[in-house]
Amino acid sequence: MKNLFNFILKNVHWLLFLILLSFSVWLIVKNNQFQRSKFLLVAQDITGKVYAVTSGFQSYMNLNTINAGLLKKIAELETEVYAYQQLLEMKADSVQTGSLEVDSLRVLIYQFIQARIVNKNISGVENYITLNRGAEDGIEADMGVLSANGVVGVVMATSAHHSVVIPVLNPKFHLSCKVKHSNYYGPLVWDGKDARYTYLTELPRHVDFEVGDTIVTSGYSTIFPEGLPVGVIVASQKQKDDNYNSVKIALFTDFYTLNGVMIVKNSYQQEQKKLQKEVIQ
Amino acid sequence: MSSSGIRQIFLFILLVFLQVWLFNKIHLLRYATPMLYIYFIVKLPGDMNRNVVVILSALIGLCVDLFEYTLGLNMLACLVTGFMRHYYLRLFAPRDIFESFIPSFSSFGQALFLRYAIAMTFTFMVMLFTVESLSLFDPLTLTFRIAGSFILTLLLICAFESIQSGISKK
Repeated sequence: MKNLFNFILKNVHWLLFLILLSFSVWLIVKNNQFQRSKFLLVAQDITGKVYAVTSGFQSYMNLNTINAGLLKKIAELETEVYAYQQLLEMKADSVQTGSLEVDSLRVLIYQFIQARIVNKNISGVENYITLNRGAEDGIEADMGVLSANGVVGVVMATSAHHSVVIPVLNPKFHLSCKVKHSNYYGPLVWDGKDARYTYLTELPRHVDFEVGDTIVTSGYSTIFPEGLPVGVIVASQKQKDDNYNSVKIALFTDFYTLNGVMIVKNSYQQEQKKLQKEVIQ
Repeated sequence: MSSSGIRQIFLFILLVFLQVWLFNKIHLLRYATPMLYIYFIVKLPGDMNRNVVVILSALIGLCVDLFEYTLGLNMLACLVTGFMRHYYLRLFAPRDIFESFIPSFSSFGQALFLRYAIAMTFTFMVMLFTVESLSLFDPLTLTFRIAGSFILTLLLICAFESIQSGISKK
């Protein structure tokens, strides 16, 4: 008995090693559920605060690029405003105005909340981004995130003042997309290699497309409205089974310089989800 | 608390800070990311209790994980590296060291310290990137990531070590 006790005491580092090893393996396996767990939310608030201090400096360094992007966006919006002004003038002149009001109401389904990135990790395979808005700003899980140029990702979890986004640069995230001006869609899947490119998979072989075509969101979810720009086709390759194409896409969003984003709030998301849930049950 | 203990705590905080805010943002040629924070495990005193080494290794890994939302990943790689450290020290530490020592260029000699650092860094990189690639396996990318990060980290460890030995000589 004494020998056994001595043996255990002598090899207690093995025991400790195995316990800690199983703990870390458990953490890795449970990682998905953990992202939404309370434990991580507490950690998230602390790390988020620390990150907020350093990200100020980083955003200053990227100001040039951001300014260029903003100017471009302003130009686009100016054009849009001009178009609407013309529409209003036309409406004032016109007698039949009923159809216009129905259309303009639909736009209000989606609201955009501005947010800043406090931390992003795009070097690994499973990447995440932290934003400076949280539950107190009305942010909830499953809200879409956009940059000035295109789609970024989806909010995965929120704490009081911060939220964690799963970007398109994460193989666990599949975004439903389609080639602009066609109705065939497929999931957008990242291959874990290059933060500039991703792939639109499971696109039926007979769908016509050309290099240079724009890829947009399909709108077949409650997260993003239809037709938001995602990227542009740069190459295509056949998938293992010959009925589908896999298309290589250059993303519009430059994740290396990305700093400011917009969170998309769908006012009818809960309602739509509830309805879908009821139908399934 | 001894001055060596305070030094360890300072090194712990400094390396986690550098890792999270600087090195994790570096992706040289899109593959190589320096993982300098394992320098903490490399520099733990040679005669430190093995249990303490294992716990400290797991702790620094978990700290980096918390900031990166990769729970368990860095912890596992650090844990294995910390556990293997005892065997590497037996292999590479000079036989004539008896009293308490901290692995360094001056206490080991450059060649032996380099071998020890290579073994430690390589163990860590293989563990980290292999486990990470479980979610998306691509042998070529995996090889590039291990090789690139290994070389970059080793260079940084040597640089840090040269600076430290330069300071201690003065």
